[in-house]
Amino acid sequence: MTPVQVWALLPLLIATAAIVATMLAIAIYRHHRFCASVTVVGMNLALLAVAYDIFFGGNTTVVVTGLMTIDAAARFGMGLILVTSLGVLTLCHAYFEGYKKNREEVYLLIGLGTLGALTLACATHAATLLVGIELLTLPMIGGVAYAMDERRSIEGGIKYLILSAAASAALFFGVALIYAQVGALDIEALSQALAVASLDQPLVLAGSAMMLAGLGFKLSLVPFHQWTPDVYEAAPTPITAFLATVSKLGVFVVVLRLFHYGASPVSPLILTSLVGLSMASMLVGSLLALRQNNLKRLLAYSSIAHFGYLTIVLVVPGDDALRAAGVYLATYLVTSLGVFGVMALVSSPMGERDAEHIDDYRGLFWRRPYLTSILTAMMLSLAGIPLTAGFIGKFAVIAAGVGDAQWLLVGGLIVSSAISIYYYLRVVAALFSAVAQGSERVTESLGWAQSFGGFMLLVAMIVMLFLGVYPQPLYLLSSQLALH
Amino acid sequence: MVEFAFYVASTVALFSTVMVVVNTHPVHALLYLVLSLLSVAMVFFTLGAPFAGALEVIVYAGAIMVLFVFVVMMLNLGRKTVEQERAWLKASGWIGPLVLSLILLVQLVLVLAPMSHLTPAGTQIIDAKTIGIALFGPYLLAVELASTLLLAGLVAAYHLGRHED
Repeated sequence: MTPVQVWALLPLLIATAAIVATMLAIAIYRHHRFCASVTVVGMNLALLAVAYDIFFGGNTTVVVTGLMTIDAAARFGMGLILVTSLGVLTLCHAYFEGYKKNREEVYLLIGLGTLGALTLACATHAATLLVGIELLTLPMIGGVAYAMDERRSIEGGIKYLILSAAASAALFFGVALIYAQVGALDIEALSQALAVASLDQPLVLAGSAMMLAGLGFKLSLVPFHQWTPDVYEAAPTPITAFLATVSKLGVFVVVLRLFHYGASPVSPLILTSLVGLSMASMLVGSLLALRQNNLKRLLAYSSIAHFGYLTIVLVVPGDDALRAAGVYLATYLVTSLGVFGVMALVSSPMGERDAEHIDDYRGLFWRRPYLTSILTAMMLSLAGIPLTAGFIGKFAVIAAGVGDAQWLLVGGLIVSSAISIYYYLRVVAALFSAVAQGSERVTESLGWAQSFGGFMLLVAMIVMLFLGVYPQPLYLLSSQLALH
Repeated sequence: MVEFAFYVASTVALFSTVMVVVNTHPVHALLYLVLSLLSVAMVFFTLGAPFAGALEVIVYAGAIMVLFVFVVMMLNLGRKTVEQERAWLKASGWIGPLVLSLILLVQLVLVLAPMSHLTPAGTQIIDAKTIGIALFGPYLLAVELASTLLLAGLVAAYHLGRHED
């Protein structure tokens, strides 16, 4: 391996080193804040390496042994992944302070999951694709079941374990079927196979259907979405945040590579099924969210709808769609992180039960005014109200859809967004509803950890509003995805 | 000839896997599971991948199955264990797997016999050396990532399997 390759791989190497360092720190002495700091410092260094390459390193494309390619798109993905995972780590510190047993392993699990997502961002070979997806999923099974004295979390963990194993099996089998036809395993060959898939190639067609099913599960697109609300509900809130953001982001970057970076556009048969998946996700996600009283389940359905919107950019060919994907991903990440962050802080330190029922949030404004303001802003951003980042994301996706005359999908997006305003505003209304005299709980004083998490959320809100008002820098950065 | 062996082994694999699923008795199902793994190993042998076949036997059929059978047996420790085991070992339970694994054995002897000049059904023979070169050449990064995957499994299992006193 040449020095150039090692330098290009530096973010992954640093992340791996951070994981090992955290493990050693745990082995030597269990200290919650210290172990958390080790991971956070490591991830920050990795982020620094990515940022250096993007801004000063010339953004060159480096091929590493055919398994990975570190190009502009990979760096963009790695940057987003690391920023989001740092946010999740911050939430973890406040949240797990209240956990009675071993708290430090969660940083190892999140670090390993992040490494999996980083791998996916650079993957240009089926081997790295599969290992990356497993590395993203396996630690999160441990994460979902982390508080294992509760029946619910064990149930969620087992559900995630079995269903994601089935999805991975479908994905692996799909790759194997395509390999049987084309005899190559690199992503370029796979996406070429997806481009020419037709009815007289049953192997490729069956393989791509199974790959779509596996990837659709990981992105929780309808009809592969049933696990999402249950697992989101069962997991500790910071882990839910990780599942909703980093986990899907990593998979989506590799999906972009599969469907977008080929020499020719995806075959019409697969496009039709993508349109179907997208429409179903948008409508089913929004409709099912309407009746939810549990905030985590509501957000799970809303994330299904959001990834339905995002699937539009897979259908639309061209660099504009890629740019829209980057903008949408960034705005979705900062917003989701904000929403789950507020939920995590309201539930921190971890108690018997997370604050997740909508009643727990009734009148929250009168107890926690700052957190409530952040949550309100984030909810409006999820709904896509102008001047928030969510609006810019939706605008970018609609622009891409209109540019390619995908009227069905754009119509679906508009209908789904209209429905979604109802359930987001329902939460916002609950936040500000008056509480009965004397039943208000006293505001608890914020500890160091909580105020640190609060600081992160404040930054997230500022970034979100900034992107909503002045999206130009994000657009410039997102054109990274189109450089390939 | 080898192609014939390939199809026989695949048929055995399919049949035994179906038997694993439909069998209501856990130990009998496990017997068929071992058989299914052995027949997959046989498929590898016929395709000209002896190393993969050997690994299949050692890792899956050997280690995991022994573990499996142990766990199932341990769950039923008690006074009635002996009679229970006797009941489990009735001929109807093991005769099927026995016959099928004898078929596999005959095939193995035929394919692996040093005197035979049979060419494998696959296009080339992939031996241990080729696999080593592939793993530590082009696939080096995948191997390293797989090691972190194992670490992830280890950490998750450690945390979830821990008994707090």
